[in-house]
Order: sequence, then structure tokens, then C-alpha cells
Amino acid sequence: MTATSLIARKESGELLLSLRGLAWLMAVAVSLSLFGLLLVSNTELSLLDNAQVVYDMVGIVTALGGLLSLVVGIDAVAGERERGSLVPLLLTPVSRDAILAGKLGGVAIAWAVMYVLALPYLWAVGSTGQNLIQGMLVLAVVGSPVVLGFGFFGMILGSRLTSARAGLFTGLITLIASASPLLLGPSLRQSAIGRAFDAVNPFSAAVNAYDAVIIDSQTIASQWPHIAVAAVWIGLLLWLARSAFRRIAR
Amino acid sequence: MLIEIVGLRLALGGNPILHDVHLSLHEGEIYGLLGPNGAGKSTTIAAALGLLQPDAGQVRVLGKDPSVSAHEIYGALGVLPEQNGFYDWMSAEEYLAFFAALHGRHPGPSEMQQLAAAVGLAPRPRQAIGTYSLGMRQRLGLARALIAEPTVLVLDEPTNGLDPRGRREIHDILLGLAGRGVGILLCTHLLDDVDRLCRRVGIIVEGRTVTEGAIADLVRNEHRQVRFRLRLAGEPPSELAKDGHVSVVAHEGDWWIVDLDPAATPEAAWRELMFRGWPIAEIARESGGLEDLYLALTERRRHDRNFPDRPQGIR
Repeated sequence: MTATSLIARKESGELLLSLRGLAWLMAVAVSLSLFGLLLVSNTELSLLDNAQVVYDMVGIVTALGGLLSLVVGIDAVAGERERGSLVPLLLTPVSRDAILAGKLGGVAIAWAVMYVLALPYLWAVGSTGQNLIQGMLVLAVVGSPVVLGFGFFGMILGSRLTSARAGLFTGLITLIASASPLLLGPSLRQSAIGRAFDAVNPFSAAVNAYDAVIIDSQTIASQWPHIAVAAVWIGLLLWLARSAFRRIAR
Repeated sequence: MLIEIVGLRLALGGNPILHDVHLSLHEGEIYGLLGPNGAGKSTTIAAALGLLQPDAGQVRVLGKDPSVSAHEIYGALGVLPEQNGFYDWMSAEEYLAFFAALHGRHPGPSEMQQLAAAVGLAPRPRQAIGTYSLGMRQRLGLARALIAEPTVLVLDEPTNGLDPRGRREIHDILLGLAGRGVGILLCTHLLDDVDRLCRRVGIIVEGRTVTEGAIADLVRNEHRQVRFRLRLAGEPPSELAKDGHVSVVAHEGDWWIVDLDPAATPEAAWRELMFRGWPIAEIARESGGLEDLYLALTERRRHDRNFPDRPQGIR
């Protein structure tokens, strides 16, 4: 087993075996349960078109996935540094790039766990209608790079800021700001500023791809402009994370 | 030489922390790095480990610059840092196996048990680390530092949180390692540990090495006499005020208070006295030695602006 896979396995253990990680997974599961329950039991929401319900659920899974990845990314660096377990890891004869790759692997495993956790909820709210499978696929293809990018962003914050709390605060503000397309009204999104923001915002790219595939029944392949935005986002953050992690002093 | 630091200068966030630090660690030596809180000991260690980049001066570990050849050095290095964190959900066995694998080693169960037993973890190797006491965590940290069979050990307060028996066990482990040629850089506030383990020390005050060298030489250079209490099983053969390297200061019943000549080692002086017929039954240190030297140097630095910037004992 390579050093990278050993570290990735350790990072996944932090999520699946530590009380802290299990608490986050539990919080995610409770949030999905509450949202799912709301979609099927609320009088007004239960009247929504089935594809619209899947679209909403996929959007929520992406937002929660971004939050979980952000927390895991910050904890993997700043959290470990605060607990004193980062320095012994940095002092092993393993390159910084390999340690970083292992930690990024931990973020990917966290998202994979969250994705698997979300599938029954998607099935529960969308099994009677169309485009459920396409919804799951577009979440994997476009949602994954967006979510993982937030994990990488968390690692950048963890490397650059002195405390995990400061990293979490900064990360949450950024996550809320980039998730704002979900909150903006249609008229604001059609304005010049709204369009410019939509063009570069990875969250917008994901939401627009979900809209096109789940609601408008377009193919995933036709969403290449949105996929390209998500790919640029994750590539840029990977480069920045590498640069920040190499500069960690102690 | 295993570690060599010359004229180290380092600032963090624009604040100068180290001004002029010198240090040298040889094979098979336990070197005590001493200094008051905030003197720069941990920063010196971080620079020696390549975790901080010096502004000036030279740092060499195993003949290499740690900021350039970190990974070559880390393979031969065992470290117990000041802030010693663990993965609390793992067992000690899993934790040690993880770090062994990162060092490219895959010790078998018997080797792991041997290592755990050596540091006193044997009875509970499968227990989650989160339930460990401070002392057990220190032992586990030491086991982690030893897992790669290092040539150089850097230990920051290794006996912190240990009971007297645990401290003695760690002392024995360190002396055994030094006997096998491992160089150990020991950073501690416990002068008893340094007295027992180290032959040479360096004292850092306000980011400067104010003295470095063999403890006996430093005490002698400072003209510090070491005072002992000797309990005699009978009368000494002579009532001389000065007998060899020992000056008698006072005499109360069976107890004799004596000053030891700074040039003499205690063991040689007691041997000489016993040879001359002194029936020594018990020996206890009263004052002097490393503790007085440490207090004098750290106090002098605080009050005396004219205290020399060049460390003593360094040429």
C-alpha cells in the first residue's frame, strides 16, 4: 500500500470511526431526512412536479456535500495542526505532495460516503417520476468536482489560517456566497451581474446542469460548458492547495 | 556530527525569535537543550527539523540541510514534538503500524509487542488512544519516534506527565539508545533528567545560546562549587578541613556538609575519600552544579545588558 493510500485510509477513518466524523455524518443524514420528509409531506411542496423534487434534493445534496467536504478539508490540516498530530505526519519520509494526495483522497472518500448516503433519499422522493437516474448521474459528474473543490478550498484555508475555527468561518461565508444562485430570484439572475456571476460560479454551473438534465431532460454530454467550469474550479483549487500545503511550516 | 547549528537567526511574522543559536550533537550523545519558557528552544528544534526556514546561519542534520533534503533526513529521524497529538480513534498497535508503514517498515506482531513493551504500553496495545492518560500518550509518542530505528532522536519534554518509575524507565531506554550510538537532542525543563542523562548541554536565553559544552566544564568555568551532604557510618580518618577535592564546610552528627572542587567529578571524589577511609553511607546533593549554573545564566541575561553575546564554551 502506498503512503498516499495509507493516509487516505487514515483520513477516511477520521470520518467513519471518530466521534467528530460520525457526528458530521449524522448531521448530514438528519438534514437529508428532514428535507426529504418536507418534500413528501408538506401540502404545497408535495404538489411539485416529480422532476422538480429530484432537482431540489440534488441541489441540497450538493450544498451539504460542499459543507461536509469543506469541514473535512479544514480539519485535515488546521484541525490536525491544533490537535498536534500534523507535525509527526510531516516528519515522516513521505513527500508533501503524497501527504496532500492522501488528504485529498480523504475528502473524496467523505464525498463518496455522502453520495451513497444520499441515494436512498433521492430514490425516496423521486422513484415514481422521470429522470431519477439522470439526476444521480449528473450529481456524480458535475456535482462531484464542485463538492471536492470545496474540500480542497478547506485545505487551503487550513494551511493558510492559524486556527480551524477561523478557517471554518471563512469557508462557510464563501460556501454561502457561492451557493447564492439557489437564493437569487430569476430577475436578478438574468441581470448582467447575475449572468457574470453564474458564468464563473461552480455552484451555478452545477445547478444549471441539474436544471437542464433533470427538468429539461437534456443529455449530460450536452452540459460540457458547465462541466468545464467545474473542472476549471477543481483544477485551480488543486493547484492552490498544493502550493499552500507545501508552505506549511509547523 | 549528527546535528550542527551555527549562528542560527530566525524571525516569525516579522518578530525576531532566534538571534544566535549554536548547537552540536554527536553520535551516541544525549544533549540537553535548556532555557526558560519562550527562549526559543522549540523554534530551534523546528528549524533543525526543516519545519522553519532560517534567516541566517547554518543548520545541518546528518550532514544535510533539512530545508533542502528533508525526506532523506526524516527516514533516519525520530521526533517527539512538544505538542504531541494522536489519532484518538486508533489503537496503539494500529497507530504504530501506520507510522511504521510510512517509514517503509512492516514490523511483525512480535516486533510491535517488543517496542510497545519497551516503552511500557504492552498491557493495553489494542485500547483506543483516546482513553490513554497523559503518561501513556507520552510513551506512545516515544514508541512512534523509535519505530523507524532512528539515528537521531529529537525529544521535546519526553518525561512530561510520567510518574517517577515511568521517568526512570524512559531514562533507561534513552541511555540504552545512546549506548548503541543514537544521538539524542533532549529539550526539557527537568534539570534532574539532564543531570542524569546528558554530558553536554546548551542553554538558550532570549533566542541566544548563552553557553554550550560539557556540564562539568561549564560548572568549573563558572567556578561553581557543588555542595553535598555525606552521611558517615563512623568517624572519618582525619579532621582536615580539606581532603583531596573535598572541603568540609560543617559537621552535624553523622552528616558532613562538603563542597566539591569544580574540577573534580563526584564519582572520583567519593572513590578517593573511601580509599582514604571515609565510611560513606549516604550521599545527597545540597546545591550547586547545573541548576545553579542555569539559574545564574538565565537570571544574568535578564538583568545584565552587558552579558556577552558570544556563548561560552564555543570557539
